[in-house]
Amino acid sequence: MIPANSMVFAIDDDVSVRKGLARLLRSAGYKSEIFELASDFLKREQHTGPACVIVDLRMPGINGTDLQETLIQHGREEQLVFITGHGDISICAQVMKAGAVDFLPKPFRDDELLQCVERALVRSDEQRRRSAEKNNARRLVDLLTPREFEVMQLVVTGMLNKQIAAELGMAEKTVKVHRARVMEKLRLTSVANLVRLVETAGIASSERDGTKV
Amino acid sequence: MKSFSQSLESTGIEPAARNVNGSSARFDRRLLAVGLWVFAGYYLGAKIGFALTFEPHPISVLWPPNSILVAALLLTPPRIWWFVLLVAFPAHCAAQLQSHVPPLMILCWFISNSSEALIGAALTRYLVGRSIQFTTLRNAGIFCLCVVFAGPFFSSFLDAAFVRWNAWGESSYWHLIRIRFFSNALAAVIVAPLILTWATNGIPVLRTAGRARLLEASILLFGLLSICFVVLYKFGPEADSAFLFLTLPFLLWAAVRFGALGTTTALSIVGFVAIWSGSHGHGPFSGGTAEENTLSIQIFLIVLSIPMLFLAAVIKERASGETELRESESRFRIVADAAPVLIWMSGVDKLCTFFNKPWLEFTGRKLEQEMGNGWAESVHPDDLQRCLESYSEAFDARIPFVMQYRLRRYDGQHRWVSDHGVPRYDPHGKFVGYIGSCVDVTDLISKDEALREFEERVILAAEATHHGVWELNAATNELWMSDKAGLMFQLDPEARLDKAMIQRRIYPEDRARWQATVEHAIETQGEYAIEYRILLPDGTLRWISGRGRCVPGKLGKGTRLIAVSVDITSQKEAQDLFHLAAEGSHLGVWHWDEVTKSLTWDRATRKTFGVSAEEEITVDTFYRALHPDDAERVKQSWRRALELRLPYQIEFRTKRPDGTTGWVDARGRSYYDEAGKPLWMTGVVFDITDRKKAELEALQHREELSHVSRVAAMGQLAASIAHELNQPLSGITSNASAGQRFIDRGKVDLRELHELLGDIVADGRRAGDVIRGLQVMVKKGVPARQRVNLNDLVMNVVRLVKPDAMLRSCELGTFLDPDLLPVEGDPVQLQQVLLNLIVNAFDAMSDIPVNQRKVVIVTERNGQRAVCTSVRDYGFGIPPEVSRRMFNQFFTTKAKGLGMGLSIVRSIVESHGGTITAENANGGGARFHFTLPADAAS
Repeated sequence: MIPANSMVFAIDDDVSVRKGLARLLRSAGYKSEIFELASDFLKREQHTGPACVIVDLRMPGINGTDLQETLIQHGREEQLVFITGHGDISICAQVMKAGAVDFLPKPFRDDELLQCVERALVRSDEQRRRSAEKNNARRLVDLLTPREFEVMQLVVTGMLNKQIAAELGMAEKTVKVHRARVMEKLRLTSVANLVRLVETAGIASSERDGTKV
Repeated sequence: MKSFSQSLESTGIEPAARNVNGSSARFDRRLLAVGLWVFAGYYLGAKIGFALTFEPHPISVLWPPNSILVAALLLTPPRIWWFVLLVAFPAHCAAQLQSHVPPLMILCWFISNSSEALIGAALTRYLVGRSIQFTTLRNAGIFCLCVVFAGPFFSSFLDAAFVRWNAWGESSYWHLIRIRFFSNALAAVIVAPLILTWATNGIPVLRTAGRARLLEASILLFGLLSICFVVLYKFGPEADSAFLFLTLPFLLWAAVRFGALGTTTALSIVGFVAIWSGSHGHGPFSGGTAEENTLSIQIFLIVLSIPMLFLAAVIKERASGETELRESESRFRIVADAAPVLIWMSGVDKLCTFFNKPWLEFTGRKLEQEMGNGWAESVHPDDLQRCLESYSEAFDARIPFVMQYRLRRYDGQHRWVSDHGVPRYDPHGKFVGYIGSCVDVTDLISKDEALREFEERVILAAEATHHGVWELNAATNELWMSDKAGLMFQLDPEARLDKAMIQRRIYPEDRARWQATVEHAIETQGEYAIEYRILLPDGTLRWISGRGRCVPGKLGKGTRLIAVSVDITSQKEAQDLFHLAAEGSHLGVWHWDEVTKSLTWDRATRKTFGVSAEEEITVDTFYRALHPDDAERVKQSWRRALELRLPYQIEFRTKRPDGTTGWVDARGRSYYDEAGKPLWMTGVVFDITDRKKAELEALQHREELSHVSRVAAMGQLAASIAHELNQPLSGITSNASAGQRFIDRGKVDLRELHELLGDIVADGRRAGDVIRGLQVMVKKGVPARQRVNLNDLVMNVVRLVKPDAMLRSCELGTFLDPDLLPVEGDPVQLQQVLLNLIVNAFDAMSDIPVNQRKVVIVTERNGQRAVCTSVRDYGFGIPPEVSRRMFNQFFTTKAKGLGMGLSIVRSIVESHGGTITAENANGGGARFHFTLPADAAS
C-alpha cells in the first residue's frame, strides 16, 4: 500500500544501475527521481511527503554513509535503502544501526528492492506523522511558561502537588495553579494524556532540544 | 805385290805387338821377301865391290855388302836379324868363293862384316830407336857415328886380325885396319843411306812427285851427270882438284830440294862416277898408285858425303820443322777457331798476336783491330786497369793467371768473361809468350750473384722468422746446421755434427716417430712434416715443427735431406689452451671455403651437430642439422653475411639425430680477395643448448610467477571486479523485471520495451567485457607483443581499479599525452605493471586522510624514442632503507604482501627494453616512473 504523495529517490553513480532502477520503480508505479550525485539530491528541495532514498554505498564525492549522516544531522525523514556493488558486510551493520531501512547487495532482486521501498515509504510516512505529532506537541508545550513547564515535567512523573511544591520550592497552591494552566493550554483533561503528549513531544526528563534550560 | 819398302816397313817399323796380331802366313811371306832382297843385295853388292877395286889394290874402294847388310838390319826388326845374317851368309860365301877366297877367310870375313853391320845397326837402333831417316841432324849424326864410323872402325880391327891370322895379305895390321876402315866407311856413307832412303820412302816420293818436280829432278840429274862426267871423267889427274867442287852446287841443289833421297842419290852418282872413272884410269883420281887413288877417292867422297848428309838432314829437319810448325799452327788454328772459348795469344812483348774466330765474332772486330793492345779497347773501362795490371804481373812472373773483366760484345753489351792465361814455351823451353782462353761467365756470375743473394735472402728469412735450417747427408749422416738451428737445438753449428746429435735432443717419446718419419722421407725421396718435442740440455722442453724434403744426390753425392725447423712452443701452448678452452666450452671451429664450396668441421663442431668424426661434411650436412623452423633464417643469414660483408652471428636450433633440439650460437668472419669477392668464412659454434634451456626455464618461471602475481593481483581486485560485474547485472535484473511488470500491468509501450531490452543487452556486454578483461589478466599465456598505446592501457586499468579506488576513497587522476608514440609490448603485462603500481599507490595512502588520497597517472612522450609513464601517490613516500631494496624479490612492506609485485614489474619493464625508477615526489608521496622504448617502426 503506497502512501500518498510518496516519492522514491535513487542515487547511484553507475548509469546502468540508474537506468534499471528508474524503469523498475516506474514499472512498480512509484514516482521517482534519479540522481548521479548525492550532492545533487541534497540541493533539491526536501520532499513534503513520504520519501525513500535508494542510495549506493560507495560513490565518488559524498558517498552513501555520508549522506545518511547528513540526513540524520538535519533530521530529515527520508528513509534510506542502501545498495552496494561491494560485498562489505561490516558497513551493513553500521548503516542499519544508523537507521537504514535495508542494505541490499547488487545484483538485488527486484521484488526485494520494491519491498524495501514500500517499507521505507511506510516508515517514512509513519515517521512523518510522528514527526508532525511531535511538532504539534511541542508547539503546545512551547506555549507553557518555564514555570509551567517545570511543573508539568514533575506532574508527568506522578508526583503529588505537595511533592512538586517541595521540589520546585513553590507553594502547593501555585503548583495547582500552574497545573491547571498547563492542562488548559495543552487542552488536556487527564494526566495520562499529558504524559502521552509529553512523550510525543519527545521531551525526556529535563531536556528539550537543548534550547531550554 | 807390295813394294819392298812397304813390306819392310810392315815388318820393320811397326811395333812387335802388331806383328803378333798379323797372320803368320803373311809374316812368312814377308820374311821370304826380306831374305831374297838381302841375298840378292849382298851378292850384287859384293859383285859391285869387286868391280870397284883399283887393281892391284886388293881392297875395293867401296865394299857395299856390309852396308847393304847394315841397311837391311836397320830396316828389319832385331828379332829377325839372325835370319838376315843367315841369308846373307850364302850370298857372302857365293861372292867370296868366286874370288877364290879360302873358306875360313870367308867365314872370318863374314864374321867381321856381320860384326860391322851389327855394331852399326845395334848402336843406331839403340840410339835412334826406330828406322833411321835422315830427317834430323841428330839422326844423321848418329848414323855417321855408328854406322859410318863405329861399325867399320871396330870391325876393321877384327877384320884385320882375321886377315893377319889367315895370312891373307901382307899388309901390316894397322894398314889393313886403315884400308878396311875407309872402304867400309865409304860404303857406309854412300850405300847405306842410299838404300835406307830409297827403301823407306823412295817409291812413294817418285809416285807422288809432280811434273815440275820430276822435271827439276831430271834437270838436276842431267846436270850432275854432266858435271861428273866432265870433272870426274874427262879431266885428268892433272886437273885442278878445285874442279871437284863443281859437283858441289849440284849436290847442294839435291840436298836442298830433294832432301836425303836426292842427296844420297846424287852422292851415289858422284861416287860411282868417281870410282868407276878412277878405276878405269879417268878422272882426277887416276894418277898415282892404286892405293893413293883409292885413299884419295875415299877421303874425297867421305868428306863430301858426310857434310852433305848432314846438310840434307838439317835442311830436312828445318823444312820438316817448318812444315810441322806450319802444320801444327794450322791444326792449332782449326782447333782454336772451333773451340767454344775465346782464345788469344801474345808474344814475349805482351802484345797480342792471335785471336781466334770466336773472339773476333764475340767482339765483332777485325783481327787487325785487336792485335797488339787493340783488344784492350773492348774491355770495360772500370776493369781495364785491373785487367792490365793482373796480366802484366803474371806475365812478368811467367805464371798462369785467371782474371775476370767485362768485355764489350758486338752488340755493345758488356759481358763478364773469365780469362785464363798460361805462359807458353817453344820446344826448347824458351818463353815465347802467353796463351789464354776466355769464357763468357756473365750468366754464371749473375747466377752466382743471384745464388748468393738468394742464399742471403733465405738465411735472412730463416733468421728473421726464427726458422732453423739444417741439412743431413743421408749416406754419411753428417749434419750441417744454420746458426739459428744451432741455437734452437743448442748444438754448435761450427762443430762436426751428425744425425745422432739431433736425435739425442729429441724427446724420448717422440724419437721413434721422428726417426720413422725422416727415414720414410729419405726412402721415398719425398717430403715430410712433423711436430715433435725436444729436450734441451738445460732441461726445457720445446715443441718443434719441422718440414723436410729430400734432394736426390748428384754427381756421386748421396741423398740430402734439407729441413726447416720452427720453435712452436708458444703456439702449441696456446693451442693446448685453446683446445682445453674449446673442449670445456663446447667450442667448435668451422671453415667454409667459398671457392671450392667445401665445409670443414672440427671434432667439437661435429659433436655439436651430432655428426660422426668420419662423416664427410658438405653444406647440406649443415642444413640438414638445422631445425626446420630456423633453417631458412639461418641459411639466409650466413649467405647474406658472406656476400654483403656483414658480421655473422646467429642463434638457432638444431635437430639432433636423437630427435632432441639443441641450441647453437654461431659466429663467423669472412675474408675477401682484392676484388671484394668472398674467399672463405671461418668461425665458431657454441653449443648453448644448456644455456638456452635454462633461459627458457627462467622465462617460463618468470611467466608463471608473473601469472601468479597477476592472479594474486586479480584476487586483490576481486572485490572491484565483483563490483564491476554487479553494476551491469543489477541493471539487467532491474530492467528485466521492470519489463515484466509493465507487461503485467498491461502498460506495454513497445518503444519503451525495446529500449529496455537494448539496455539489457548493453549491460550484458559490459559484464562480458569485465569477465574477458579478467580472463585476459589471469590467463597463463605466452606474452604476445603487439603495438599498443599506453594511454589505452592506462584507461583500461583505471576502469578496472575505479571500484577499488572508491572503496579506498582514493581519487584517480590521469594526464595522458595525446602525442604518445606506440610501444611494442604485451598489453597484459603492461597492464599488470600499471595495476601493480596503482594498487601499491592505494596501499601507500591507507593511513592518509581521505581527502588527501590521490593517485595521478601521467603518460608522456619522450622525444622520438620513448614513452614515459608515472604513477604518483600522496602517501608518506619511500623511506631510504626501502628504496634500495624495494625492487627486490620477496621484499615487501605489506603484512599480507607476497613481495613479488615490484620485482615482477621491473622484470616486465626491462623485458620490454625499458627502465623503472622510484623517487619521492615534491609535495609528498612517491612517484614510480618507467620508460619504454617506442616501437621501432614508428
